[in-house]
Amino acid sequence: MTQRGALIARAAPVLACIGLLALWQVASLLLKNDSFPTAVEAIRAVPAILGDKEALINILASLRRMAVGFGVAVAVSVPLGLLMGRSRQVQAFFNPLLMVIYPVPKAALMPIIMLWLGVGDIAKTLVIFLGVSLPVIYHSFEGAKAVEEKMVWSGAAMGLSAAQRLVRIVMPAALPEILTGCRTGLVLALITMITSEMIARQSGAGNILFNALDMGQYDTVFAMIIIVGAMGICLDAAFERVRARLVRWSEPQFDMPLSFS
Amino acid sequence: MIEIDRVSQVFQTSARSDHLALSDISLSVEEGAFVSILGPSGCGKSTLLYIVGGFVNPTSGIAKMKGKTITGPGPDRGPVFQEFALFPWKSVLGNVMYGPRQQGVRAVDAEAQSRALIEMVGLKGYENFYPKELSGGMKQRVALARTLAYHPEVLLMDEPFGALDAHTRTRLQNDLLNIWERDRKTVIFVTHSVDEAVFLSDKVVMMSRSPGRIRQIVDIELPRPRRRTELLLDPRYQKFVVDIERMFDDDDEAGPGA
Amino acid sequence: MRPRILPTDVLLGTAPIALVLALWQGLVSFGFAPVTLLPPPGIVFGRLLQQLVTSTFQQEIVATLIRLFGGFLIAVVFGVGIGIAAAASPAINSVVRPIVRVLAPLPKVALYPALLLLLGFNHESKITLVAADALFPILLSTYFGASTVEQKLIWSAMAAGTPRREILFKVVLPAAMPSILTGCRIGLVISCIVVFLAEMITSTDGLGHVLVTAARTFQAVDMFVPLITISLLGLILNGLLQAVRSYLLRGFPEV
Ligand SMILES: Nc1ncnc2c1ncn2[C@@H]1O[C@H](COP(=O)(O)OP(=O)(O)OP(=O)(O)O)[C@@H](O)[C@H]1O
Ligand SMILES: [Mg+2]
Repeated sequence: MTQRGALIARAAPVLACIGLLALWQVASLLLKNDSFPTAVEAIRAVPAILGDKEALINILASLRRMAVGFGVAVAVSVPLGLLMGRSRQVQAFFNPLLMVIYPVPKAALMPIIMLWLGVGDIAKTLVIFLGVSLPVIYHSFEGAKAVEEKMVWSGAAMGLSAAQRLVRIVMPAALPEILTGCRTGLVLALITMITSEMIARQSGAGNILFNALDMGQYDTVFAMIIIVGAMGICLDAAFERVRARLVRWSEPQFDMPLSFS
Repeated sequence: MIEIDRVSQVFQTSARSDHLALSDISLSVEEGAFVSILGPSGCGKSTLLYIVGGFVNPTSGIAKMKGKTITGPGPDRGPVFQEFALFPWKSVLGNVMYGPRQQGVRAVDAEAQSRALIEMVGLKGYENFYPKELSGGMKQRVALARTLAYHPEVLLMDEPFGALDAHTRTRLQNDLLNIWERDRKTVIFVTHSVDEAVFLSDKVVMMSRSPGRIRQIVDIELPRPRRRTELLLDPRYQKFVVDIERMFDDDDEAGPGA
Repeated sequence: MRPRILPTDVLLGTAPIALVLALWQGLVSFGFAPVTLLPPPGIVFGRLLQQLVTSTFQQEIVATLIRLFGGFLIAVVFGVGIGIAAAASPAINSVVRPIVRVLAPLPKVALYPALLLLLGFNHESKITLVAADALFPILLSTYFGASTVEQKLIWSAMAAGTPRREILFKVVLPAAMPSILTGCRIGLVISCIVVFLAEMITSTDGLGHVLVTAARTFQAVDMFVPLITISLLGLILNGLLQAVRSYLLRGFPEV
């Protein structure tokens, strides 16, 4: 009884995927629009893209930049967020600056950064870094702020220094919230990457999308959407597995992914 | 007024084990009676109250109100929860007015009635405060006023004074008795405190733990109106308290869950 | 009770902003960065003020705002509606949950080319993209808020004679309001970001388009102006939402 329930729960996202694709198929058949290929046609075009060596290399290079940008952002943002959560001064110092930066579209900085740094890896990675940082800082901050004061006190009573308390008590206690931020950040990294490629129009998945659009290769456009969508879903699912393993002790707050996009 | 007839409640706990929370409870409460339910934590007092309230359907057996089977909540039975459960988005007045408005009373009349009730529970001047701005005792008064406002025939009170300090608790007990002596509503009152049960009630229902059963029903034959200070010196009152506490002690010696 | 803002906090808070501006000015003044690449802050803000009073620039702002609000409002309506429905009905929940699982982590911007093909290059495609991006945070917070409403609140209302179908509007919705508004705040920031990006990728007007036009002609000053404008818009809208929030949530603890 419960086993079957678990099986259905596992299969549900797959069923949802199939359902959405079926919906797409029906809609495209009904609309009969030249620029709206059916789901089957789009899926058929996927191997062609992944088989194209240049496109594949481009996409992999994008993913590498994404990984670097994400990694550096997490390494910088988590300590900053934790410090902000534990120290009123640090919070007062950074909060207004972050509030001003928050609504700035990070991918929109692409043209300016390109103006300064050219179109190399550094510019693209920097934009991803900026895109990921804020949510990770925000969640680490919230996580650290919510850590029970008594827990930190008892750490102090045991003779831990301030730095030790941050690493040994605050960080583990805030871990669930930090990981929620990282999960959001990961999806955002992918979004920033694709958006900046759409804006810069040099290489990568975003560029392939719009080149295909310009050339009227609609199958490729939709196939690329499937590829990018699959990347997002897989990254999120993979991270969710890691997260569930790392913070088994904490009660899950959302079992639906809460991401920025 | 209320008939509980061989009610049992089974809860499904993790995976597949069933937990028998209430076993074969039968109880009748007469109109205008003040009945307390007393028992150790987890014996199913709240569950029993929720069944009478119509919030929970019993696994077996039936509960009746005035001869009609209880199938859901209704304004004839007013709950007062231990957690207050005030609407945080409404002011004190808004909370108290909610019931009458829901019953279709005109806004002006509902407001006038509610203001009178708020005054009666001693919160005049706090009409426009929000629950978060009140102390625990004040919140409990608002919760009581909110329930009284829609004139339920039966009050279902679940450890309403459990979270309060001794002083506030005593004051609210006196207030509740005054209100009850005036209106003579039927009250089912769940509590942990033997003193409280004896002081307030006509009848104390003692429950035993796991599965919840009725152990004994004690009639509290003390004169009314009751004054706390007089009662504390009254040997009859003292005897009731001591007897009931002894019975629970015996229960403990029998071992937990026995 | 909100913690009072201390004057020292204000001082501390303005320090890094001042520092950034000083650094910016310094980079130009001491010749580390050519003015063509990094115009000094004075010139940028002067240009901003100058632009703000021109009607062409105002029209760009209006175009952006229409798309922003259009998308955001659609997201609020659907997000709150679906979130509440999913919390209220197990049947709807079992359908919505897996679909959300799949769609929430999907990078919506990838759908933009498809939206362009289906809805054309006007407002519609951009509004839809904004709505798609702002929808999920609002939906998820609404669902979370509505599914964690204190049971006893619902019971209290039912005992007072509220019919089951009214419980949704009289108890669940107001009780979930803090959560819903948190979701709206996230959704609003996302709307600001997405509308700008969509306009940058393809548009003939709007703030994002202003930036792209400036970038094509390497006018660094004009690239900063729309960026600062959207950031200011974001701050103002956030402030407005905050005001709505403190009004609606005046009864709730710690707004
Ligand atoms: N929704 C539920 N699901 C599973 N078990 C429940 C549920 N509600 C109550 N129980 C179980 O039923 C038993 C009785 O619970 P109940 O809350 O009625 O006890 P109580 O006498 O009111 O205790 P207390 O004095 O601590 O309030 C407990 O063992 C509890 O674990
Ligand atoms: Mg209880």
